[in-house]
Amino acid sequence: MTPERKEAVVSEIVRGTPSTYPAWFSARKRSKPLIVSRRVPILLVGLPVLVLLAIVIYPTIWMFYHSLRDTNINHLFSGEHASVGLENYRTVLSSERFHDSLWHLALYLFFGACLQVLLGTLLALIIYEYLKSNLARALILILLVLPMMLPPSIVGTLWRFLLTPSNGAINQALLDLGIISSHIEWFNAGVSLWSIIIADVWNWTALPLLIVYSGRVSLPPAVYEAARVDGAGQWKVLRRITLPMLKEVIAIAFILRFTDAFKFVDLVYVMTSGGPAQSSELPTYIAFQRGIREFAIGEAAAYAIIIFAISAIIVTLFLKYMKRVMKAQGLA
Amino acid sequence: MAATADIAQANTQAAQTAERWRAVRYLFLIFLGFWLLFTLFPLYFMAITAFKSAAETNLTQPTFWPQEWFPENFVGVFAEPTNFSALVDSFIIATGNTLLSLLLGSLAGYAFARFPRQAGGENMAFWMLSNRMFPPVAILVPMFFLFDNTPWGTDSHISLIILYLVFNLPLATWLMMVFFRDVPHELEEAAYLDGWKPLRAFVKVTLPLVLPGMISVAMLCWIFAWNEYLFANLFVGSDVRTYTIVIPTFTHGSQTLWNLQMAFSLIAMIPPVVLFIVLRRYMVRGLSLGVVKG
Repeated sequence: MTPERKEAVVSEIVRGTPSTYPAWFSARKRSKPLIVSRRVPILLVGLPVLVLLAIVIYPTIWMFYHSLRDTNINHLFSGEHASVGLENYRTVLSSERFHDSLWHLALYLFFGACLQVLLGTLLALIIYEYLKSNLARALILILLVLPMMLPPSIVGTLWRFLLTPSNGAINQALLDLGIISSHIEWFNAGVSLWSIIIADVWNWTALPLLIVYSGRVSLPPAVYEAARVDGAGQWKVLRRITLPMLKEVIAIAFILRFTDAFKFVDLVYVMTSGGPAQSSELPTYIAFQRGIREFAIGEAAAYAIIIFAISAIIVTLFLKYMKRVMKAQGLA
Repeated sequence: MAATADIAQANTQAAQTAERWRAVRYLFLIFLGFWLLFTLFPLYFMAITAFKSAAETNLTQPTFWPQEWFPENFVGVFAEPTNFSALVDSFIIATGNTLLSLLLGSLAGYAFARFPRQAGGENMAFWMLSNRMFPPVAILVPMFFLFDNTPWGTDSHISLIILYLVFNLPLATWLMMVFFRDVPHELEEAAYLDGWKPLRAFVKVTLPLVLPGMISVAMLCWIFAWNEYLFANLFVGSDVRTYTIVIPTFTHGSQTLWNLQMAFSLIAMIPPVVLFIVLRRYMVRGLSLGVVKG
């Protein structure tokens, strides 16, 4: 290509008439650069969207349909289920079991998810402020993140093993250290939920820790330099600079943990199976239990739809907030 | 005189604050130490249990150092041939799902990054992402009966490979979009100038630039699929078994074989831990859905 030709082409592109694009790629609107025929992006997005529609929308509609019917395993296979209106929802919403599980969920959200974010933030700031060598930081981060790499079945069995009341390692260690004087019954009613929360905190505190730590690393040092020159104390720097600038990052960590917490069911299943006597059940676990183990599909569907509605609200709020954050960062 | 007194007072105040901060600092470091202990103790106990004999794991007083070392446990785990095949099954499922997520996710991610409006706009992108937060309980039951009616049934690799797309495809799409956006589209346009076809321009110019990101997305998806438990627990179990559902089943009669269970867990946690150490930087970006730069 001669220089003149190249220049001509460049100016064509700048004017928005990209004649060098292949014909099928060329623009319908000639005012913008790199506009392709309408079909290309739709083809590119089409397949993934279809797949997701099939594995997400289909089950949602199925669940909604069966939440209005008296489906159980026999009815499902014979196809003879009848409409019962909102009966399933009434059963769920008025059942004692559901109310208890909501209370458990609240406890779990507060002491599980919220505590994880608080502890993660605190630890991230401690690691960043008080450890100055990069090697030490990297090493400690890797060690603290190890639990997050384990599947729920390992975490569950490991903690069930550690918390075994009669000869578990935790009870023994606490006895040896003189913190307790008799064995704690970790899996009794009223305590088992806390055991699950402890295991979950152990498992997931590293996520907010990692996120907040990366956020802190990317804050501009110049701001801190200026604060130091102005003679601001550490407390003031923390309250007036670090925390406000990390606000969004912490919020993201919080919302990620929150949305995960609504889906949370596997540790309950592995560690206590909701027991003893349903004292550590979460709504998701009941839906799982009723639908899969007891085949009361109509009722399980009602549970699933209720959970879905709650989580849809939270997810929508999250995405709205995330859009704002991404816009602020110039990502979207 | 008054001025000197003021300065002296200010100095003592500053010294007091410094003193207080030193105390706070020690408190914080102690807390960090405590947290390290809390995090590592279970892992430590898991590791030493893997080296104990079965009898020692059931003592009334647990030991914090093996009385007798039993490295044979790591061989004993595989005495049951299904245990090894479970690792293989997990590997097949995780790898298959990763490839599928990556392929579909790259298509959509590229479209969202390059042609945001034509591909459905940011609402479409956010809708795709929202699927990651979909409660699995709402999918489990209908999908179980759906796969039951397919020729391969629920108890197969393919059913889990498809199901895991629920959480991995949104992640792959979203992250690939973030990575494709980082590549200036002028580079591709420059290639068109030289008369290259779009596919060639994509393969030769854009793809090498996103390759590091793509590899990290692949590894993240792989870890999530490798560690999945809930779907696997319901869907597979006899023909196909993932290692995650094998772990809670180490029993002999009424007794749990903790040493074998922990040895198997240790073996199974090697891949994700190694991957994490390799990709620490990308991990943060992946786990925070691209919002936080790692």
